[in-house]
Amino acid sequence: MLHQIFAITIKDLKILFKDRGGMIVLFAMPAMFILVMSTALQSSFSVGGSDNPIELLVVNQDRGGLAEKAITEIGDLDGITLISTVDGTALSVETADRMISNGDYSVALVFPADFEERILAAATDPQAGEATITFIADPTTSTQFLGPIQGTVQGFIQQAAAYAQAPRQIEAGFASLSEEVPPAQVQFVNQIGEAFVDAMTEAGGLENEGSLGVRFEQVAPSDFAVTEFPDSVEQNVPGYTIFGVFFIVQVIATSLLSEKQNGTFRRLLAAPLSQPALLLGKLLPYYLVNLLQVALMFTIGALVFDMNLGNAPLALVLVTLATAAAATGMGLLVASFGKTPEQIGGLSTLLALTLAAVGGMMVPTFVMPEFMQAISKISPHAWALAGYQDVIVRGLGLQSVLPEAGVLMAFAVVFFGIAVWRFRFD
Amino acid sequence: MKNTILSVQDLYKSYGDNHAVRGVSFEIARGEVFGLLGPNGAGKTTSISMLTGLLEPTSGSVQVDNMPFGKNGYAVKAKLGLVPQELALYPTLSARDNLIFFGRIYGLRGKQLKMRADEVLAMVGLADRADEAIETYSGGMKRRINIAAGLLHEPEILFLDEPTVGVDPQSRNAIFESVEALNRNGLTILYTTHYMEEAQRLCDRVAIMDRGEIIALDSPKALMSGLGGGIIRLGLHNGHIDTVSQRGSEHPAIKSITRTDGMMIVETHQAQAALMGLLEITNQLDAHITSLEVLEPNLETVFLTLTGKNLRD
Repeated sequence: MLHQIFAITIKDLKILFKDRGGMIVLFAMPAMFILVMSTALQSSFSVGGSDNPIELLVVNQDRGGLAEKAITEIGDLDGITLISTVDGTALSVETADRMISNGDYSVALVFPADFEERILAAATDPQAGEATITFIADPTTSTQFLGPIQGTVQGFIQQAAAYAQAPRQIEAGFASLSEEVPPAQVQFVNQIGEAFVDAMTEAGGLENEGSLGVRFEQVAPSDFAVTEFPDSVEQNVPGYTIFGVFFIVQVIATSLLSEKQNGTFRRLLAAPLSQPALLLGKLLPYYLVNLLQVALMFTIGALVFDMNLGNAPLALVLVTLATAAAATGMGLLVASFGKTPEQIGGLSTLLALTLAAVGGMMVPTFVMPEFMQAISKISPHAWALAGYQDVIVRGLGLQSVLPEAGVLMAFAVVFFGIAVWRFRFD
Repeated sequence: MKNTILSVQDLYKSYGDNHAVRGVSFEIARGEVFGLLGPNGAGKTTSISMLTGLLEPTSGSVQVDNMPFGKNGYAVKAKLGLVPQELALYPTLSARDNLIFFGRIYGLRGKQLKMRADEVLAMVGLADRADEAIETYSGGMKRRINIAAGLLHEPEILFLDEPTVGVDPQSRNAIFESVEALNRNGLTILYTTHYMEEAQRLCDRVAIMDRGEIIALDSPKALMSGLGGGIIRLGLHNGHIDTVSQRGSEHPAIKSITRTDGMMIVETHQAQAALMGLLEITNQLDAHITSLEVLEPNLETVFLTLTGKNLRD
């Protein structure tokens, strides 16, 4: 029986490797996804860092110097580059507007002419009205990109405004106090107020020169062994690899249907060959192709994009073996239902896209509504992705992927079980 | 029967109310070429499918070399070779790759397999194109490789299911010669066809099948000798059929007359004399002849006599 299984395996591998279209679907397409999407999304992961700062147009119309202070503070940040001139000339609103409209830049910040005026007025007069700072942004710019920029800029502007307003508020406070003290003490109170403001200014607290004493850092949970945060490659390669692995479903189902339609199935069944050996022989080559796909995609990730493969290669192997089992099982399942190439194509595509979408290949599951997150549990893609991410992104080991591998094998058993029950050899 | 290699007893195959094979029984002797002749839908392929283990019979038994099929499935299958009606080959692989693969399925390996593949390729005259993909072959060449694949493991019985369908005359002749050569070397062959001339040329005995049953079984010569001098098919306007039949039956050259669908099927001792007699009768009665056919004794006319239909209706 074993030599018969290997004979069928070798025969199918020969046929598969002669099929250029099949090779493109199984290997070139996932590789292209990885290469193109990882390169395209690299910026979205590194943008805002010192290697890839966000470019922000700035139009400063402020008659006072307060906007300039805020702009200086923002410009000192590592992740932002401010552009306030074009060809040596200060940017105007019209120019900034045109540059964004042309798609040269995504965001512009406009300080109005009465910025400082209004900020200082608001220090002592609640009715003074607000200073309006305008963000000009291309409507197609995603909120995920725009939000953090706005938040950061707002923070620095509010800080600058607070520092500018503080002396006036203190003076106003002491002036109010001086109205309540005896006339002989008014001068004393005013002197205290001035000395207070002078002392704070000297210490740098009101000049916006000191640190607020707060720093932010990003870390992973303590039980994750993450030394560096993942980039686009480590986030995306596992997903696209899984997507590619499940392309095998249609290939397997089509191969079985072809055997039936071209009569070779009949010849094989007339031979001293058991039905289990026939099915195993048919599935083994595609299982091996799955393993090869994963190895190739991860190799591309590692060699081309310096992808981190985690610290537990055995865990990666286990997830891969279980994912391939689920994929080949699904292929046999589709073969047991599809009676024509059209039915097989339709069913395979429906399963591939639906399970990939539900499983978090296109949108992370954590952003989905709760009921969708529950539904994602029925997708083998979701479990495979979780397994790979445990190793590659979270730095976990073999034990942590046992549940995912177990569920994937359960999928495989169920798929095989139903398929064998339904499969017609005649 | 002495030296029986295949014994079929009361074979039935039903699909609900549709009885594809009804009570088929026969035996084949070792070294015989046995024909199953019948029109499309007669049950030939269904019968072969049961004899080769592809279909489970509804009832009945099959024994190969005294081994019941059911209990000894794999051992029996190893003795059988099947050349299916449809081409059963992998088109993108070469002829050699196809043969090597099927040989491995039958347990052949290594040098023995390679030698055997070379032998059958030579046997079917395709050794020089063995390494080209099957999809580049003509229909006749594909048929020859189809046969070669059934021979690789040196079966004791070869089932050839309509092997010349869609084949050009030259390749058809090559197939006949291959079958004759194989039989001369002792191979037992069960050959199904709806072409009378193939059965007449190749088969030692022929079982004529129609609607799932065997309606006649004997050597071609014996089957045809029953027809005497031949068959005349005469079509008349209904008004005169009864009278012509009655008077024709009395003619000494006419063996028997049967009627079907406005036609008279006349079995003759001597076709020419019978024809003259019939024409005289129709002239006397002023009967209007709508069609007239004189058929030599052959298996087609045997079928016609037995069923009232042509073999290729």
